[in-house]
Amino acid sequence: MLIVGLIIAALFGPLYVWKNTKYPTIKRYGIGSAVAVLGAAVTPLAMGQCSFAEHSTSVDKLLGYALMFGGAWLALMGARVFWDRSDGKEKKKDAFAGEIRTGGFRLGAWVPWVLLSPTLIILLVFLYFPAVSTFTLSTKLTRLGAPKSIDVCFTNFTELLITDPFKLVAYPLIAIALIYGARFWTKRSEPGTLSRKGADLASFIAVLSVFIALYAMFSPGGGGQVAYRPVYLNTIIISVGIVAFGMSGGLAVAYLAFRKIRGGGVYRTLLIWPYAISPAVAGVLFFMIFDPTAGIFTHVMDTWFGIDVPNYRENAVLAQASIILASGWKILGYNILFYLAGLQTVPLEQIEAALIDGASTWQRFTKIVLPALSPITFFLLVTNLTYAFFEVYATIDFMTKGAPAGKTSVAIYEIIRIGVNNGDLGRGAAQSVLLFIAVIAITMWQFRTSGERVSYGGS
Amino acid sequence: MKYRLLTLLAVIALVAAACSSSSDSDEATETTVATAATETTVATAATETTVATAATETTVASAGDASGDATTIDFWVAFSDEARLGFAEEKAAAFNAAHPEYDVNVTSFASYNDVFDAAILAVDSGEPPGLIHFFEAATRQALDAVGSDGAPIFKSVTEAIAGRTEILGEPVVLDSVVSAARDYYTVDGSFYSMPWNTSTTVMFNNMDILNEAGITEPPATWADVTTACEAIAALPDGPSGCITWPNHSWFVEQSLGQQGELLGNNDNGRSDRATEVFLESDGMMAYLEWWKGLNDAGYYTYTGLQRDWDGTSNAYLAEEVAMLVYSSSDTTFFDDNATFTNTASFMPANEAVDYVGNLIGGATIWMLDGMDTTTEDGALAFANFFSNPENAAAWHQLTGYIPITDDAVSLLESEGWYDESPNSKVASDQLAAAANTPASLGALLGNFVGIRDVITLAIEDILVNDLDVATRMAQANEEANKSLTEYELLFGG
Repeated sequence: MLIVGLIIAALFGPLYVWKNTKYPTIKRYGIGSAVAVLGAAVTPLAMGQCSFAEHSTSVDKLLGYALMFGGAWLALMGARVFWDRSDGKEKKKDAFAGEIRTGGFRLGAWVPWVLLSPTLIILLVFLYFPAVSTFTLSTKLTRLGAPKSIDVCFTNFTELLITDPFKLVAYPLIAIALIYGARFWTKRSEPGTLSRKGADLASFIAVLSVFIALYAMFSPGGGGQVAYRPVYLNTIIISVGIVAFGMSGGLAVAYLAFRKIRGGGVYRTLLIWPYAISPAVAGVLFFMIFDPTAGIFTHVMDTWFGIDVPNYRENAVLAQASIILASGWKILGYNILFYLAGLQTVPLEQIEAALIDGASTWQRFTKIVLPALSPITFFLLVTNLTYAFFEVYATIDFMTKGAPAGKTSVAIYEIIRIGVNNGDLGRGAAQSVLLFIAVIAITMWQFRTSGERVSYGGS
Repeated sequence: MKYRLLTLLAVIALVAAACSSSSDSDEATETTVATAATETTVATAATETTVATAATETTVASAGDASGDATTIDFWVAFSDEARLGFAEEKAAAFNAAHPEYDVNVTSFASYNDVFDAAILAVDSGEPPGLIHFFEAATRQALDAVGSDGAPIFKSVTEAIAGRTEILGEPVVLDSVVSAARDYYTVDGSFYSMPWNTSTTVMFNNMDILNEAGITEPPATWADVTTACEAIAALPDGPSGCITWPNHSWFVEQSLGQQGELLGNNDNGRSDRATEVFLESDGMMAYLEWWKGLNDAGYYTYTGLQRDWDGTSNAYLAEEVAMLVYSSSDTTFFDDNATFTNTASFMPANEAVDYVGNLIGGATIWMLDGMDTTTEDGALAFANFFSNPENAAAWHQLTGYIPITDDAVSLLESEGWYDESPNSKVASDQLAAAANTPASLGALLGNFVGIRDVITLAIEDILVNDLDVATRMAQANEEANKSLTEYELLFGG
């Protein structure tokens, strides 16, 4: 079984070299093949081929192959960086860094390492070591204070997925096919034509299909599998909600506060204030506002208007909306801060020119201000998404504790519930790895797509 | 500038508010790290403790204490509220004054789990505390815990006392511990840990509302509760709900004990390790069906949060419900804060089956292994001093946790305390009425914390999403058994 994977890797290497390097030579084909095989062999070597053991299910094997493929691909990407550099492709991008490098250190090559060592040591101890431990833990069944731990191969991961191997292969393939199809269509169409509009729609559907494919691949629970599909759905809804509310709200408020008003400085200072609050405090504040027994909002609605506000924790939509509101409000100040700074860089001449041309406020906003803010929007998208993924635990813990029945339990909440509160370190680690991969994937995707649309002004 | 200062002050006030309210939470709160990073966090906490210890020592020395080199005994407590933590600190100070050669140093943690995790990591890093405060449901987990060297973390207090009747002049109180607590914590024939805060579930009744509805006595059975709720719902100016209690697995376990049902096999894990849990028993079904019925009829008020002690207690004090099933640990609090006639009564039982018995809840003080004789004797002396009749009685009066020894009960009786506050006697009476069977003693289970989570999550699902009790509990049963099986794979021999 393992050998099949390695042979495929040996064939995949040259294919990658042919597609992705500028000067594919015989030597490079050979190296590509070898690098791919080595990359593919990393996981089976580290895990002792457990994916292909006799009792392993077809999903186990599938994941084994997927990891081998991933290893080969990462190794080839590494090799490509070297090739691109020797081909002169990376030079231009690296212009600034290159200038610094050519400056040179007269004292010797070790000086930079010594100067960097405090940072490197901190990174090693507090980042890389825990990260590697997380990967190791994720393949084990273990608890704090246990006399032993049991190797469970990738069960902590496969139990989050559906058990049908054909669907597990088919769904991602369909999504990939849609993405490449949409990309092909976009290339073939001219901007401004109806065909391009169709292509844009197809691109949107293709992106959506990735999320739908993942939804279908996660197990709904039952049959010994872990119900991860609801967690995935909650994470998508709540994260998208927080980012959408936090960023659009931030821009709207910043746009209003940017105008010349009396006491503007005070407003601007106060608007940034929510950012100084910890996520836990945001949770407590909104808990005190909406709590059905002691909440201010509930009390006011009841005594002044006679409206009986339902308990937000017993209704999935209200519960998720309240988490979005609290978390979005907390990040609002941060977004306002950056948008206020960004608005100062919007070229005034262009706005004046547009005014002369008779552009309406809305047109000026969408055609000039928004594009000028795009680098900041892109930066905020990454930071907001990171916040929505990683820093909502305390808010959720105070407001709902995952209620109703797990409808506000997002990935990070689930990780801490399982890994820390229930002490199931292996499963907690496996889910952290999953979240880690998700964030890397989303960030990469953002860099690739948003990068094309971001305008930094100038050329 | 002025405005910025104001803003800053407001922020500081808010952060301070958050800190104080987070301390009330039952669960770990501000942990926003992934699993691997947890070790770092907990390790940091441990380091802080060490720093605190060092600071205390310096203070003692500079205060001109004759014996500057007092033996330090760290005591990690899972309370962070002023009253209960304050009690521990006060008694530690009293002990230190009586035994200047020792320095018992109390450190507060947010939850039992935090204390335990920190203790295990402290053992591995070579700087363990002397005593830790850990809860009843995790007794199995504490017995099973080993350090990285494979040696058990805790030492049996019975073994360490070794038949002595007094240690450093402090009388040993273990023999006087009330039977309900003694039977619960006796594993393999002896105490492993020193009982401290022990309670049971009682019902608090707003007699003003009940009387208005024509109910003169607190309801004793499920049927009585339902009848009372029907009467209260018919009141023109009655409360919005009728009864509430936290969705905490402890109440489910209490109900199983009352009905004589086992939660785990092998006599609730008392004759041998439990390897199976029963979440589909008749007793479980009966209790949850009754609970769901109350909820569907609008009599039971669900706050929408699992393990919600604060919300339920607020609802009772705000007279939004007439009855509250709760821990006896807050008896004094309700007596002091109720603005109505507050009467405690036994937890309502299922009238369709014979009553077997309620169980205890709470926590004990565990002693860590590996201390030298001097330190260990100091730790044992403190643990016994901590629950001597005067201290145990004071603890009971402060909170409502039961007086943990018979001597403390006699002391309270002689002082006329129970005539003064009859509500305080209900918990002890209820425990005295219990038969000594495995069902009413409660279960010793591996991964009990995780299993409790499975139970409360299933109940929330049933209450909120109107699910079929049997179907949902079958699913919960599967999950709980899976997690117990995995625990036994790791710890079971």
